[in-house]
Amino acid sequence: MKIGTPKEIFDGENRVAMTPASALELQKLGHDCVIETKAGDAAGFSDKSYKDAGVEVVKTAAALWKAADVIAKVRVPDADEMKRLRADQTLISFFSPVADDDKMKSAAKKGATVVAMEMIPRISRAQKMDALSSMANIAGYRAVIEAGNHFPRFFTGQITAAGKVPPAKVLVVGAGVAGLAAIGTATSLGAITYAFDVRPEVAEQVESMGAQFVFLDFDEDQKDGSETGGYAAVSSPEFAAAQLAKFREIAPDMDIVITTALIPNRAAPELWTEDMVKAMKPGSVIVDLAAEKGGNCKLTVMDEKIVTENGVTIIGYTDFPSRMAAQSSTLYATNVRHLLTDLTPDKDGKINHNMEDDVIRGATIAHASAVTFPPPPPKIQAIAAKPKAAVVELTPEQKRANEVAAFKAQTKSQVTLLAVGAFLLLAVGLVAPASFMQHFIVFVLAVFIGFQVIWGVAHSLHTPLMAVTNAISSIIILGALMQIGSGSFIVVVLAALAVFMTGINIFGGFLVTRRMLAMFQKS
Amino acid sequence: MEFGFTTAAYVVSAVLFILSLGGLSGQESAKRAVWYGIVGMALAVAATLVGPGAGYWLLSVLMIIGGGAIGYQLATKVQMTQMPELVAAMHSLVGLAAVFVGLIAHIELTRVMGMDAATREGLSGFAGLLAHKSGVEISILRVELFLGVFIGAITFTGSVVAYGKLAGKVDSVAKKLPGGHLLNIAAAAIAVVTLITYINTGGFFPLFLMLLAALFIGYHLIMGIGGADMPVVVSMLNSYSGWAAAAIGFSLGNDLLIVVGALVGSSGAILSYIMCKAMNRSFVSVILGGFGGPQGEQMAVEGEQIAIDADGVASALEEADSVIIIPGYGMAVAQAQQNVAELTRRLRAKGKTVRFAIHPVAGRLPGHMNVLLAEAKVPYDIVMEMDEINDDFPTTDVAIVIGSNDIVNPAAQDDPNSPIAGMPVLECWKAKQVFVSKRGQGTGYSGIENPLFFKENTRMFYGDAKASLDALLSKIS
Repeated sequence: MKIGTPKEIFDGENRVAMTPASALELQKLGHDCVIETKAGDAAGFSDKSYKDAGVEVVKTAAALWKAADVIAKVRVPDADEMKRLRADQTLISFFSPVADDDKMKSAAKKGATVVAMEMIPRISRAQKMDALSSMANIAGYRAVIEAGNHFPRFFTGQITAAGKVPPAKVLVVGAGVAGLAAIGTATSLGAITYAFDVRPEVAEQVESMGAQFVFLDFDEDQKDGSETGGYAAVSSPEFAAAQLAKFREIAPDMDIVITTALIPNRAAPELWTEDMVKAMKPGSVIVDLAAEKGGNCKLTVMDEKIVTENGVTIIGYTDFPSRMAAQSSTLYATNVRHLLTDLTPDKDGKINHNMEDDVIRGATIAHASAVTFPPPPPKIQAIAAKPKAAVVELTPEQKRANEVAAFKAQTKSQVTLLAVGAFLLLAVGLVAPASFMQHFIVFVLAVFIGFQVIWGVAHSLHTPLMAVTNAISSIIILGALMQIGSGSFIVVVLAALAVFMTGINIFGGFLVTRRMLAMFQKS
Repeated sequence: MEFGFTTAAYVVSAVLFILSLGGLSGQESAKRAVWYGIVGMALAVAATLVGPGAGYWLLSVLMIIGGGAIGYQLATKVQMTQMPELVAAMHSLVGLAAVFVGLIAHIELTRVMGMDAATREGLSGFAGLLAHKSGVEISILRVELFLGVFIGAITFTGSVVAYGKLAGKVDSVAKKLPGGHLLNIAAAAIAVVTLITYINTGGFFPLFLMLLAALFIGYHLIMGIGGADMPVVVSMLNSYSGWAAAAIGFSLGNDLLIVVGALVGSSGAILSYIMCKAMNRSFVSVILGGFGGPQGEQMAVEGEQIAIDADGVASALEEADSVIIIPGYGMAVAQAQQNVAELTRRLRAKGKTVRFAIHPVAGRLPGHMNVLLAEAKVPYDIVMEMDEINDDFPTTDVAIVIGSNDIVNPAAQDDPNSPIAGMPVLECWKAKQVFVSKRGQGTGYSGIENPLFFKENTRMFYGDAKASLDALLSKIS
């Protein structure tokens, strides 16, 4: 199959869906690669570097669309490109099945197959193809860098000869992939970072990145995000109010606010209200990564940077990945390459579009002249962690009380046992003759000693213990020895046999014990 | 004068026996302690031969020498994997000896009772001892020897069956005759009735009838217990052989027999208790045999068993720093302990931490695995008990399960409806990676599915344990 990547025609888009490195990998799968001239220029990949990687470079977009069986690109195709898409061609690109509904339908009508990178299911196996995550990672990083660009102070606190510099305080709202990347970047620049998310279970991840999680005083069972494919669900009005109150409280302290809160297929929730912006210090920066979906702050202007009356800069860019085209192209091209690896299971250069496969099925929105969106739920669900059973922490008093109770119970059972034992003994003593009682005392004491001694035996020596008890239980030989000389022939025979058998046992038991014990050696 | 000497010798012997058991608390002191036992036994036998057992002493010595020769042969030839069989066989001998001694006591008692007072005065030795007993003492004597024969007979047939099962000569599956425990109860009832008759009449017939009943109980009881419960059975029989000796000691009025019998009896009882606790089952339920059915819907096991080959295991072991090996009966069956030891030596030579985790009921005898590993020259200080090592699994890179199943079954903790729920298990699934060496995809003794095999971090290393380890050793230098 021929994989082709055209130059992105969307204004300001610098990324490219194929890099020389990914082209080499694709060729290993048995595919041929073709690229439009200058497609990689904006991302820093020259035509020469593609040619060196064995990629055919064609002059025009028209020629490329004609030559390639599979088109890999970044942005959703525009009207012209949609015209070029033909039957039996596979298109791999970002493609929102909701926003670009008519394009999806026309592609299906043509008989083309469309694989939308946005629709890759969020399961472990598909992580390597998850372009949304790899782009979000870049966006999070870049958001901090952009904020720093407009922030008039240091991130890190310093004590210099010219005076003390306080560290910047950064709040990241939404600890998804972008949020976590932003937290990591901000903390490594030295800022004091706070983070908030409606999913309390991410607190651990947040803290592992070096930020403090902002907890709300709010009791409500939040849905585990893993149940909803790793995205946050819509929160209740009460929760939203508590959340806003918390933000209002901390807004004056924050120097940089990065909002990343998005809910799939909905407008971005408003989290940073006008009055919070007003409460912030002049020079503060807000980066709204949700600008494309209306913004988490209502003052945000999409694709623009504005400064409010009180001197707060609000950045509403939506092209963060494109601003780091070399990096984002590398990651995106790798995502595409992984997807093609799954589409080429036999590595023979033939695409096998397996609609039974969870990942491929989920991402395919048009196939075999039909719209295949929405996909059925994947067979493998991301496994949500079970809610942990609350372990009741005992107070020292309770522990003490438990100990006392246990001790009392123990004393009680011990005393009862002793009493019953003593009573039985006395009862026996009432009827039994003295000669019996003498032996009986010996017996009871021996059992007592036996219990005391045997508890001390090491577990690892239980087999030798059995062998040695075997040998010494043959002490019964004494009985036979005493009887052998007394009386009739049958007595002699039986006694002699008993002596014989116990003889086997005594020698066998002791010798095998010795043999075993000699084997136990220390390292 | 003679008897005074004998009694003194018995006191010394008794002390030596206690010391010899007490010495088993540590590997090094045990090596000394076994000598205490040997000396104690020699002293007791010698003192008896010189004193009250002087009649026919030549015959006695010959018999001891003959028996000793056979015992020596057995002890030096036996394979360590056959230890359970040997122990069971020896129990049967103690049981039979107890039966014989009890029967002799009966025969002598009958003979002495038949004499007139004047002749009785002239008797010496064992018969003389009997001659001086009063009416109540005679009754008590009868109870004692009756008990001695009863317990001895159960020990005898029980041990023979246990031997057969352990040696593979009898099918180790739990089997009961039609009627089940009713038969045992009936036999026990016969024993009680015959006891009462015997106390009153002192005739041979009730004793004989009881003997048959006891032999049957021993046989039927142990036939009804499956292979994996053998640790409990063997310790129980061990205990019985002690109690039989104690009962005989009472009837002969011999304190040393009583002391030793009580020591052995309590030792076996404690071992049985430890084994039962390790299986989270009551002693009664083990003896009555078989697992109860599941008490409800068992958790469905999800996932698949993923196989791995020797290369995969070898590379994981190369990367691992800490390894815990969990041996089970399957290792003993495959005779793989030498290969396990070799693997341990090679891994340790590379500076990795290798330890063994031993579940109390692993194998067919208490402490069976320890002896096998010791035979293969695995140093005992890296062989850990369950309680010592269970907390270390989360920090372990690789856990290797060789021939064990139920003792590493997470269902015991996770699934309250599982038949083994609550049984303490080795938490090997908490290790970063688990390899299970196993013949095939079957279930364990309890017949329940093991979710461990389906866990994400578990890889199945199918095949005979010895052959698998051979293949593995060829990959690890």
